[in-house]
Amino acid sequence: MNFARTMIDTVLSVRDLRTEFATDKGVVRAVNGVSFAMRRGERMAIVGESGSGKSAMAMSLIRLLVHPGKVVNGEVWLQGRDIMTMSESELNDVRGNEIGTVFQDPMSSLDPVMKVRDQMVPPIMRHLSLDRARAEAAAVAWLDKVGIPDAARRIDAFPFEMSGGMRQRVMIAMALSCQPKLIIADEPTTALDVTIQAQIVELLRTLTAETGTAMLFITHDLGLVSRFARTVAVMYAGKIVEIGPTRDVFGNPKHPYTQSLLSAIPRGADGGRSRLVQIPGFPPDMRQEILGCAFKDRCLGAEQRCGEAAPPLSARGPSHDAACWQPNGLDAGSLAQMRKTTDRAARPDVEALPPHDILETNNLSKHFVRGSMLPWRKPVVVRALNGVSLRVRRGETLGIVGESGCGKSTVARLLLELDAPTTGEIFIQGTAQMVFQDPSSSFNPKMRVQDIISEPLDINGRGSKADRAEKVRTLIRQVGLDPSYLERYPSQLSGGQRQRVAVARALALDPTVVVADEPTSALDVSVRAQIINLLCDLKDELGISFVFISHDLSTVRYISDWIAVMYLGEVVEYGPAEEVFRAPAHPYTRALLDAAPVLDPSAEDDRPVSIIKGELPSPLDIPRGCGFATRCPHVSELCRTEKPILVQRQPNRKEACHHVG
Amino acid sequence: MFAFAGKKLIQLIVTTIGVVTLVFFTLRLIPGDAASAMAGDTLSGEALERLRDQMGLNEPLMSQYLTYWRKLLVLDFGETITTGLSAGELMRAAAPITISIALATIVVTVLLAIPLGTLAAFLAHKGKKGLDSLITGAAMVLDLMPSFWTGLFFLLFFSLTLGLFPASGTVSLENPGHFLQRIALPVMVLSVTQVATMARITRTAVLEVLSEDYIRTARSLGWSELRVLFRHALKNAALPIVTVVGLSFGSLLNGTVIVEFIFNIPGIGSLLVNGINSRDYQMVQNLIIVYALIFVTINFVTDLVYRKIDPRVSF
Repeated sequence: MNFARTMIDTVLSVRDLRTEFATDKGVVRAVNGVSFAMRRGERMAIVGESGSGKSAMAMSLIRLLVHPGKVVNGEVWLQGRDIMTMSESELNDVRGNEIGTVFQDPMSSLDPVMKVRDQMVPPIMRHLSLDRARAEAAAVAWLDKVGIPDAARRIDAFPFEMSGGMRQRVMIAMALSCQPKLIIADEPTTALDVTIQAQIVELLRTLTAETGTAMLFITHDLGLVSRFARTVAVMYAGKIVEIGPTRDVFGNPKHPYTQSLLSAIPRGADGGRSRLVQIPGFPPDMRQEILGCAFKDRCLGAEQRCGEAAPPLSARGPSHDAACWQPNGLDAGSLAQMRKTTDRAARPDVEALPPHDILETNNLSKHFVRGSMLPWRKPVVVRALNGVSLRVRRGETLGIVGESGCGKSTVARLLLELDAPTTGEIFIQGTAQMVFQDPSSSFNPKMRVQDIISEPLDINGRGSKADRAEKVRTLIRQVGLDPSYLERYPSQLSGGQRQRVAVARALALDPTVVVADEPTSALDVSVRAQIINLLCDLKDELGISFVFISHDLSTVRYISDWIAVMYLGEVVEYGPAEEVFRAPAHPYTRALLDAAPVLDPSAEDDRPVSIIKGELPSPLDIPRGCGFATRCPHVSELCRTEKPILVQRQPNRKEACHHVG
Repeated sequence: MFAFAGKKLIQLIVTTIGVVTLVFFTLRLIPGDAASAMAGDTLSGEALERLRDQMGLNEPLMSQYLTYWRKLLVLDFGETITTGLSAGELMRAAAPITISIALATIVVTVLLAIPLGTLAAFLAHKGKKGLDSLITGAAMVLDLMPSFWTGLFFLLFFSLTLGLFPASGTVSLENPGHFLQRIALPVMVLSVTQVATMARITRTAVLEVLSEDYIRTARSLGWSELRVLFRHALKNAALPIVTVVGLSFGSLLNGTVIVEFIFNIPGIGSLLVNGINSRDYQMVQNLIIVYALIFVTINFVTDLVYRKIDPRVSF
């Protein structure tokens, strides 16, 4: 037994960590006995859905939990010292020095009223005992290293003067600046665009490899895990249910939860159009004592003993453990059954319907003008949308993708007449309705589900009161909820249920087009699968057209028939979804696809790292030629001076680039 | 910063012009005019007309308005109707007293309320309910006590029973020791409500900031709770606090009118009360404008301080 070697090599060792939150409604047992160890330079991912306890666990490691959270049991050994028994001042010497932390939201994680300099330099002075001049030099060097252009000047910027990506780079520079043994990164890229996310992940990967810093990466994005982590731990209900090398866990999952989760994600090419696996039921209420395995109620392979005792983590392969009584988790039969029970209903023949356009926009543009109080100041013009022409036929789904700021949400607002276009026209046959991103904030919390769904009917005075009530009952069944939910308030629903209600409300006026702006991005993987399946069913059953706006490329690919890729308020590529994803023509589309991680660790390892540089130019100051010229690897003089127009070169496909074909 | 100050200065000027205009025309809307108010029942007919001519009241309204402005710009506030003294002189003597009371109150308030509120917020954040509830509860009770009541109570207790402060006597800046003794009670009375309000606002603001992500970041960098509280939390919480300090100046000016009356202090509050009682039209008009100017200036300063603390503020 190479115990001695393990000891030397181990950076962090966690034993039986338990964390509780004493809320008014009872004690939430967020972390229920987590144990694991990390070696020097190891990159480990913790994955799980919201409420799995992954963030609470990570924050417990450095005692960053705030009231009412409390670590009630466990040891966290960092190089021979137990963090849990340290005094406050010992702890403060570890934080920021031996353990660096990167948080989820770069927009709110930096002090808004302090310059980067004042946030970054004092910790370096303190932890490394440097004088101010040296600490400042070190800070500038780190900012430079994380890719902040003109670091010596930018160190005097305030956070609000930087983009989200830049702020996250600052956070990373701060976390690394004292050369910690361990970095804890809690969803460090979740708030960022896919291209910026790829840049940040690559940055973390090279920097940790260079410095030998171990890294604990908390995420819900399984694709990122396969790109980034060598080891992965899957958490469910406050426990690690499966842990091991990423290749083994993703390639040959042994726990039913991991197995279901991996089948609930739309996969690019091979997944095709088969239905996504839905995990039935909900995660357990963490306020109750859980008897036996926490996943038993949602597991098709559950047996009697699963309800009697919780299975411990046990070996399934070299350093691959899973917590299930069955050595292989769900058998092939159960997995097949899970797919079968959720198979799509027979598809009505939408093709037989006349394929006329339901929605068409013609050269749509939207400029926002912001005047100044001072008369000699020129008004500021934000060119959100510059000449967008789209068409959607009956029963088809158009997916719109692009980074934030590309104008995709402006398109949605114009389609719904929430804003008037500056120029251009919109033709819609019938009506368009909207499903928003965040189902918790788009409902009036004081209204019952009944009234929420009925509201558009009431406003438009459709039918008698009884008719409307009947219609509401039909609608709620249509989105797969029991009519008993009509009496509830939004706060009594889960995220997925709320989004179902949002869909029901959108359907109330029998729209011909539903515009869905990031409808699944606030949802967990298993819930996302349910909503995607629902939208697909509705499209098939009712022949409704969808405009599906998202930054999640695999979801867009799965759900869409056509794709419009947008950049700086313009469509740069347009075509059938599968074709565009299989053979992207525009360099920007290619860059987007390269940036998006795929759910296959070996494919991720083999992929050449060619990450798009830079960030989206400001819509206040759009480049004269091609908008993408500032970031394009194939840029030529022509691109800088002349704007390429959207040209059809192959049947059904259009792209705006001088260098295609 | 300069562009910002410039913008705010333009707003200040526009507001001031608006206030002066509004005051001028509102007072002209009141039935009767300055001449009849001045004359009372003693003059009639022709004599009254002559007085009106003398006072320029028979001029067209617009030219009266312009004359008014011309005088105002050279700080000519005219004479009081009842005593014939220069209104400007009276106000110049009274204003420093009132402003001293107000400023002293603000200083006392800030020194007491901010530490108390911050302490309460910190305790609440850590889940220690006991002392927090005590501070919050006390603040609530004090906040609801009307100042004429606390005024009389303080007068009885500190002046008459304990004999700590004189309840009457001259008030002059030439004798600072005596001056401070005389304004101590009014300042205490005004501070009670102010401290209570401000402590509650501070608690709320700091408590909210303490759950922000950047506070967690500061902790993750190894800073002690004390430094997190004062360097990060209080600096960010200062924004709403400064706003409220600025706004509370208004209610403070209200308060000075009452305490000056109770403690017999010749500030501009007393001038106002006397002016109203003797129907001294000219004086009231002047004082309204002085109050408005103080208020507008305080708002201007608040905006600048706000901008100084938070570089994001753009308007």
